[in-house]
Amino acid sequence: MQRRLSHRCIWPYPMSEPPSALKRSRGALLQLKALRNNDGSEPHPAARDLVHDALRRGTDRRRVLRVLSWLGVSAVSARAVLGLPNPKYAQMPLQAARPAVTPRSGGTLRFVCAIQQMTDPALTTWIEASNLFRNSVEFLTYVDSDNITHPYLAESWHPSEDLKTWDFKLRDAVKWSNGDRFTVDDVIFNIRRWIAPASKSANRTTFAAITGVEALDELRFRLYLSRPLCSLPEQLYAYTCPILHRRFEEQGANWPRNPIGTGPFQLADYHVSRLAVFKRRRDYWGPPAYLDEIRYADLGTELATHVAALAAGQVDALYRVTITELDLVRRFPNMQLLTEPCAQTLVMRMKQDQKPYDDVRVRRAVMLSCDREQMLRLAYRNMGVLGEHHHVAPFHPDYFKLPPIERDVAEARRLLAQAGYPNGIDLTLSLGNTQGRYEQDTAQILQQNCADAGIRLSLQVLPAAEYWTVWDKVPFGMTYWAHRPLGIMALELAYRSGSAWNESHFTNARFDAALDAASGILDPRERSRAIGECERILQEQAVMVQAYFPKKFTVVSSRVRGFRADPQDYYRMDRVWLA
Amino acid sequence: MTAVSALSGGVSRWLLRKLLGMVLTMLAVSFLVFAVLELNVDDVAVKVLGQFSTADQRHAWLVENGYTAPFLLRYVRWLWEFMTGHWGTSTYYREDILTLIAPRLAASGLLAGAALLVIVPTGLVMGIIAGVREGSVIDRLVSVFAIVTTSVPEFASAVFLTALFVFWLGWLPGVSTMADGFHLRELVLPVCVLTLYSAGYVARMTRSSMVEVMQSPYIRTARLKGNPMRRVIVRHALRNALVTPVTVIMLQIPWLLSGVIVVEVFFAYQGFGTLLYQAALNTDIYLIEACTMVSVVVVVLTQVASDLLYAWLNPRMSIRGAAKAGAE
Repeated sequence: MQRRLSHRCIWPYPMSEPPSALKRSRGALLQLKALRNNDGSEPHPAARDLVHDALRRGTDRRRVLRVLSWLGVSAVSARAVLGLPNPKYAQMPLQAARPAVTPRSGGTLRFVCAIQQMTDPALTTWIEASNLFRNSVEFLTYVDSDNITHPYLAESWHPSEDLKTWDFKLRDAVKWSNGDRFTVDDVIFNIRRWIAPASKSANRTTFAAITGVEALDELRFRLYLSRPLCSLPEQLYAYTCPILHRRFEEQGANWPRNPIGTGPFQLADYHVSRLAVFKRRRDYWGPPAYLDEIRYADLGTELATHVAALAAGQVDALYRVTITELDLVRRFPNMQLLTEPCAQTLVMRMKQDQKPYDDVRVRRAVMLSCDREQMLRLAYRNMGVLGEHHHVAPFHPDYFKLPPIERDVAEARRLLAQAGYPNGIDLTLSLGNTQGRYEQDTAQILQQNCADAGIRLSLQVLPAAEYWTVWDKVPFGMTYWAHRPLGIMALELAYRSGSAWNESHFTNARFDAALDAASGILDPRERSRAIGECERILQEQAVMVQAYFPKKFTVVSSRVRGFRADPQDYYRMDRVWLA
Repeated sequence: MTAVSALSGGVSRWLLRKLLGMVLTMLAVSFLVFAVLELNVDDVAVKVLGQFSTADQRHAWLVENGYTAPFLLRYVRWLWEFMTGHWGTSTYYREDILTLIAPRLAASGLLAGAALLVIVPTGLVMGIIAGVREGSVIDRLVSVFAIVTTSVPEFASAVFLTALFVFWLGWLPGVSTMADGFHLRELVLPVCVLTLYSAGYVARMTRSSMVEVMQSPYIRTARLKGNPMRRVIVRHALRNALVTPVTVIMLQIPWLLSGVIVVEVFFAYQGFGTLLYQAALNTDIYLIEACTMVSVVVVVLTQVASDLLYAWLNPRMSIRGAAKAGAE
């Protein structure tokens, strides 16, 4: 090992790095042996190479840290070796956050969000609903706001060298709220129902590579994969992956009616579109939550009403505000406006198996008509980053930069003429303003952009709830996609052939193969290159118009502490407290 | 036939006619509602089972729930179940519809009652003062106020009042969820919005009616007899002048109970209007059917009550008169 290190460290550091960084990195290289898995064991063979390469070639260390956490390496040891500081404000699952002031226990947090109908958490399609059950049911892994994967119900995991076999060890002494012991049977029950052929959960697509699951003992199980899937632990924190009790289906498969969980809170009251109340569990297996109670209130869809409730001190936290309420919120000193760059986006996708969108020239004409800068500037006041018509954001760790697709009205006209529409074409874009009025503003800009190219675009604006009943049926629709921490996650869900949420009905073997290849690559640079191929195919095929990634905003009262905006909107409330 | 029996027979006939009208109206509306929502059984299955349900699941559900029967038979069965209190389960809320609607209707009743308590005296007093002093500054002020407030829609006045009393002055709560029990302060803003919208209308009607009554010969006679003005208004003018405003006020009741959707949604008030709005948004057909029928019942009952009150106020239109006519 020593020889190998000296061989690789001739002059590996980028000239731009300051000498202190160099010293840190040298020290870190010598500490490579300190790299340990969460259970203290030796890490995956690729882990040390990744660290070595990161220090030598100057790869973004945070991206490497993220990959190491997938491999089961302890985040603390990885940060130390990579020379990264520990976050000042981490929401570690099993370690108390260390804010400047000592957290105070007690109190009721009043949170405004939609109280949606939920029965089976694995079938949930709304993040708001997942934030409710997140208080009571837990996940195998936990991904923090910095996108680092930590142990949760799973204490540790070990992938095989080829990343096709994963051994997980569960935490001992975890108890369900009904007193049952949490065992490997619970996990196997869940994974089997996710991947069952009849499963309607988005997990069926996400974990299509899982071919089998086997119990090794009461606390250990093994997953068999048909292809390498290195981000598996991160994907286990998707909001459709909570671990439910092994008798969930026997007991009616309706979680609010039978709210058994391992989490820090217990569901006490639940009324759709009205309220949900969670009370702290005294017998929780981990560090107890600070809050006594969380009251979620559904105040409807009018966001100005939510802000009014916060201004009047009737509630403590809002799930989200949009660009429209921003100026209002900024006027109140008792409100904390929280924001994170995130990859939420509006995808204006065209259904590939419906006329006239089955012709790539028509799709491309629409895409080339779009003025992305104008959309971001006018519809979202430049508060976001430009998209590149492939759904992978520049801040995704697996993003690959391609030459930008600029607006080209002449080419759009030429393509339309070629496709048999020399006098232009009439199209209809359906949308539902599901996240706010900015959706319609964006659509109107596209409408004007398209007019220049001879595309007469009419807008069909539906009520938000109605849009969600047809989002995957309309021929040309604008759909809001929530943030996914990896570009590949969005691509898997929305564009893989036959995927449950493939609303554009895009089917492309080359794309699927590129996704398969990318999912098994650990090296962040190589992985990004592989994703680049997926991005290129999506652009070539003009699957969507995807103009920008708008920022996300959340507002909480100044008395709320320990609450951090999460790009995915996954809010864990056990570390939140009230001043 | 004696006069008493003729009278009671007349009243019974009048009531019977009203009840028959009520039943016919409700039957007509129920048929329309059922036809619009349940004529296409495939749509019903999609709405109940969700868009991700398979064709087989939908078919099984339709068979199991008797949707293979002819439309008219299904309508009769649905009507019978509705009349016997079996309103089914909401597909969105997953709760029994009857138990879902009852507290919401009570909440809307509370809001409507509170609003009427403010609307009626405010509207009547303004209208009476303006009507008695026709052409005065007060009359003009009341008229301008009434025109302005009735022309501002509820959503606009709700925004304006919220901006003023919640964001700027910080005096009042911004939402009226009543989540922690009844709070009078939470009723203030919705009641103010409803009052602004309705009181002006009542005031205008009262004013017109009052102006007309004050010009009647019997009022002139009463004044010439030396009665003080207050006595003339209270004892002689008011009862006749109230006929029109009462009709307007009675028409406000069904609107306040089931039509103030904008106000309830804006202030997140958990009333009947919000429930109807949610049912419509989520295509919860059984709940839409039930809410529509409840609204119809409220409208019809209010109309009967309005007729009774109208007859009491206006002897020319009295039930007794109808009874006498019936006896001849």
